[in-house]
Amino acid sequence: MIQADHQNIALQAEGICFAYRGEEWVLKDIFLSIPRGKATMIMGPSGSGKTTLMKVLAGILEPQRGRVDVLNHEIGKRTRRSLYSLIGYIPQQLGLVRNLTSLENVLMGALGRCGHGKVMLGLFPRHEIEQAQAALDLMGIGDKGSEKVFRLSGGQRQRVAIARTLLQRPRVVLADEFVSDLDLALASEILRLMRQVAEREQMTFVANMHEPQLVREFADQVLILDHGQIVRRFPTDEPQERLPSEVLQ
Amino acid sequence: MALVAILLSIVLGQLGFFDAARLTKGLRNLGILTLEMIPPDASVLPVAGKALWETVQMSFAGTMLGFLVSLPLSILGTRHLFSAPVSNLSRLIAAGIRTVPVLLWAILFVILVGLGPLAGTLGVAAYTVGYLAKIYAELFEGTDPEIVEAVRGTGASRFHLVRFVVFPEGANAILTQLLFMLEYNIRASSILGFVGAGGVGFVMQVYLQTLEYRRLATVLLLILLVVLMMDGVGAWLRKRFLLTAH
Repeated sequence: MIQADHQNIALQAEGICFAYRGEEWVLKDIFLSIPRGKATMIMGPSGSGKTTLMKVLAGILEPQRGRVDVLNHEIGKRTRRSLYSLIGYIPQQLGLVRNLTSLENVLMGALGRCGHGKVMLGLFPRHEIEQAQAALDLMGIGDKGSEKVFRLSGGQRQRVAIARTLLQRPRVVLADEFVSDLDLALASEILRLMRQVAEREQMTFVANMHEPQLVREFADQVLILDHGQIVRRFPTDEPQERLPSEVLQ
Repeated sequence: MALVAILLSIVLGQLGFFDAARLTKGLRNLGILTLEMIPPDASVLPVAGKALWETVQMSFAGTMLGFLVSLPLSILGTRHLFSAPVSNLSRLIAAGIRTVPVLLWAILFVILVGLGPLAGTLGVAAYTVGYLAKIYAELFEGTDPEIVEAVRGTGASRFHLVRFVVFPEGANAILTQLLFMLEYNIRASSILGFVGAGGVGFVMQVYLQTLEYRRLATVLLLILLVVLMMDGVGAWLRKRFLLTAH
């Protein structure tokens, strides 16, 4: 059992084991705790189980063993839909609806609070529309609200995905290599925005990342995953000589 | 490959494709029929035009009614949105409807509601439901699971997912299949009059039975014109409404 101050822990996993088939374990006995309000980055080689871990933490995949708690709520006992106020998830390809506009995609973040009446006709409450537009403004793409997502650049799409999460207002944001398709400068800019938003909204941010420079710049805590196991964990304010090679490369 | 070629030869032989005398006679008859169709008799244009307009109305109404019924049926048949018993039942209903050809549907509705375009329209609608429900269920099931998961995570219900993910993501294919169905139904509806289900088929049947091939040629040319117009409208709609970049 993890001995931790539960007041300061946003997300905790205990003994997680997951296999897509039979006994071929992709995740093996994972224990981790993510501090509240901090940025945690998970690194590891391809095939180490990073995406699977992220999906288990987000409640998309159900582990065969172990449990995940988000802010003291065991997610295995709740429906995915009921987790929206706790967990926001940004997948690797962002999960945007290409044939909808940027503003409509951001408004998806409000669906958990909306019923089925006018919303099913595409008529969202005025205050949600205003907040969605404000989120786009904050991301610096306020003028792209009426643009269909398939017409946007990669960086603009990333901002739309963040704005959607912002409107959702979850306590923990899980992002799966969501800047991996961008060049370093743009990825750094997007992460800076994400970090600002997380600090402002007191969100906990967890991301899979493979770019050491971004990890050093933005992470408070780093977990190294290899062959489905957490093999190292450390704060990034460690003295330089004590940082592992994965982060120094 | 060689095995398929051998199999094809055997089947073609059994179907009479190597009966040279019969094929030669067929070609000669085609020449005679073509000559008897020329020139088309324009005097039947008012009658044929009116009947064809009825066929277009039947096709349009039948396609749209079938489309409206097929959408909920295909949603219920989408396995990642509904439980296995619900989706299997929905698919079974669609498969049952699809098993019956459009001409048989028309005969059934002639028995149920009597002769005329109402029976034809219902026949077209029924056939459309069976076809589109299957195509759309397959299409909706192919929606990118990453998008579904991302939006589901915002607290969206399955009805939200249908409205804001499944329909918009499938919009291109929904429209394309609908247009294809409309084009197909216009051609298919042309023969529903043969069984008393309204439209231009009845006129064609009369001209065939009375050997008035020049009049039949006029009707066929009119049908060709309508099908070409539909192709044009379909192309315009696709260009106007479909995604043009990814």
